[in-house]
Amino acid sequence: MTRFFSLIGRGLLQHRAMMYLLVGFALFPLYTGFADLPFWNDVAIRIMLLGMASMGLNLVLGYSGMVSFGHAAFFGIGAYCVGISSYYDIFNGWIHIGFSLVTCGLMGVIIGLLSLRTSGIYFIMITLAFAQMLFFGFVSLETFGGDDGMSIDRAEFGLIDLYEPLRLYFLVWAALVIVSLLLMFIVHSRFGVTLRAIKSNESRVEAMGLTPLKFKITAYVISAMICGLAGTLFASWQEYVSPDIMHWTRSGELMIIIILGGLGTLAGPLLGAIAFLLLEEFLPELIQAIAPDYAENWMIVFGPILIAIVMFGRGGLLGLLIKLFQRKGAS
Amino acid sequence: MTFTLFLEQAFNGFQAGITLFLIAAGLTLILGIMDFVFLAHGSQVMIGAYAAASLTALTQNFYLGIIFAIPITFFAGYALEYLIIRHLYKRDHMEQVLATFGLILFFNEAIRVGFGPAALHSNLPASLSGFVYILPEIPYPEFRLLVILIGFACAVGIHVLVSRTRLGATVRAGASNAAMTAALGVNITRLRRLVFAIGACFAGVAGMMLGPLTSVEPGMGEPLLILSLVVIIIGGIGSVRGAFIAAIIVGMVDTMGRVMLPVILRSFMEQASADGAGPALASMMVYILMAVVLVFKPTGLFPPNR
Repeated sequence: MTRFFSLIGRGLLQHRAMMYLLVGFALFPLYTGFADLPFWNDVAIRIMLLGMASMGLNLVLGYSGMVSFGHAAFFGIGAYCVGISSYYDIFNGWIHIGFSLVTCGLMGVIIGLLSLRTSGIYFIMITLAFAQMLFFGFVSLETFGGDDGMSIDRAEFGLIDLYEPLRLYFLVWAALVIVSLLLMFIVHSRFGVTLRAIKSNESRVEAMGLTPLKFKITAYVISAMICGLAGTLFASWQEYVSPDIMHWTRSGELMIIIILGGLGTLAGPLLGAIAFLLLEEFLPELIQAIAPDYAENWMIVFGPILIAIVMFGRGGLLGLLIKLFQRKGAS
Repeated sequence: MTFTLFLEQAFNGFQAGITLFLIAAGLTLILGIMDFVFLAHGSQVMIGAYAAASLTALTQNFYLGIIFAIPITFFAGYALEYLIIRHLYKRDHMEQVLATFGLILFFNEAIRVGFGPAALHSNLPASLSGFVYILPEIPYPEFRLLVILIGFACAVGIHVLVSRTRLGATVRAGASNAAMTAALGVNITRLRRLVFAIGACFAGVAGMMLGPLTSVEPGMGEPLLILSLVVIIIGGIGSVRGAFIAAIIVGMVDTMGRVMLPVILRSFMEQASADGAGPALASMMVYILMAVVLVFKPTGLFPPNR
């Protein structure tokens, strides 16, 4: 019984963490406005978008137990949807988003159906293979810039001019809120419960008369579409897109963000994105202070940090927060 | 497309394949025996290449450089297993991916700090930079031929080691059932460490041979790692024979694709865009091949018997 209550409590806490984070992002421009740090708005946009993509991936990785090592591909497809649309003089942002959701959904169905024939290490590798295929595919498309990529104009959203300060910020924020609410709903629906059941014991779910593949492919497609949406907004923010956006290291990055924040939790990926990008911003400065010659070699510290996170930090940052909170509650 | 060019590229493809096999052989055993997703295997290639290049510069002798570099790669693999990897066997695949991804970042940056970001040049000794006539009128670089021969010798060595020796028998037993093998009195801990060290050694040798052919630079291992993962998956995880056949196929497809595709594309595209698109499409072909294999045979072409 106590276990039941602690589970409920943890669930509530997760949502509360999510709420705090979303409210925090809504208020953040106030701080940057007063402190006159417009640069940090851009960092916050990157955090929200990478966080959104990781939240999408987390549906597959954390909730359904499918280790996809190729989700950067969907992020990239979403980004290229903006690039390709504006190449053909379509600047309407709603069309970009629709185009990206449809394309990522279709690609998700194709890649998902083919990949889900395999499992385990083979699944990790075949998703990587599809991502590499698309990566080299975009490298070969000379029309859209090939290796060098293409610069693009920010999309137009009717009356919302994205070149006005903060408009883009709140567009991204609104998208993040919608995605969060959607995921919150999915996770607690019967569909979400079945996904978690598949993760812990697939053959039992099958024995209960359900078809795990149907659930897995649906989750895969939803997560592909969320990654695509994040990529679309990312391209519009960056005003530039190149195949590098879907390099295989980005798939790794998304996984790092999830593990860092807390696998299979709602707020975890967003928390992880904050930690990851802050590390990326501050680690070079920190090293600059200690050993000025090696500031650009910050990866030499970042690599071992990753290893340490895997070795010692089970449950991620969110798990850590929950542990702290519960200890306080107990005493 | 002349016959000369075709033959030359076929040799190049074979050479690329056999180098890939040296990298993939150790990795397929690591994935197969230990069920461990080891992404830092490309770093072992880089370590081998750097060790050979810097020792060659130090001793002023290409052969001495290689001879001294081989034990270094062996101990690099041994130490890595002892320090980090052995703590990760029981973790799930994703955590292994992340930890070894961290290792890649560390090694690339460590090499950049130690040797600088620029590519190192390792020049061939005069005795190896000549040409050999493989057929009358068709010259082929001596060194590439040597790479093929050494690679082939290593492949035979690995085959004998795995299928004819006691060590190989325990390795194969470990691949099909680690717990049972341990129960029969085989020291699995030592076996794993040895497989890691030997695998690192062969990857290092591949790096040493690639050094003079390509450039020795930080991050040189990752494209090779991804390709050798493709090889392993096509061949079937844990199968050395499968890795050999898949490596030759991948090497051939990659090399031939790079040469043939622009020629084919040129017949219906402008030359400039055909030359731009060709190599990228050739790189795509390898992954298409892998996806096709996996769709029809989800455990690879030659899954080890279980």
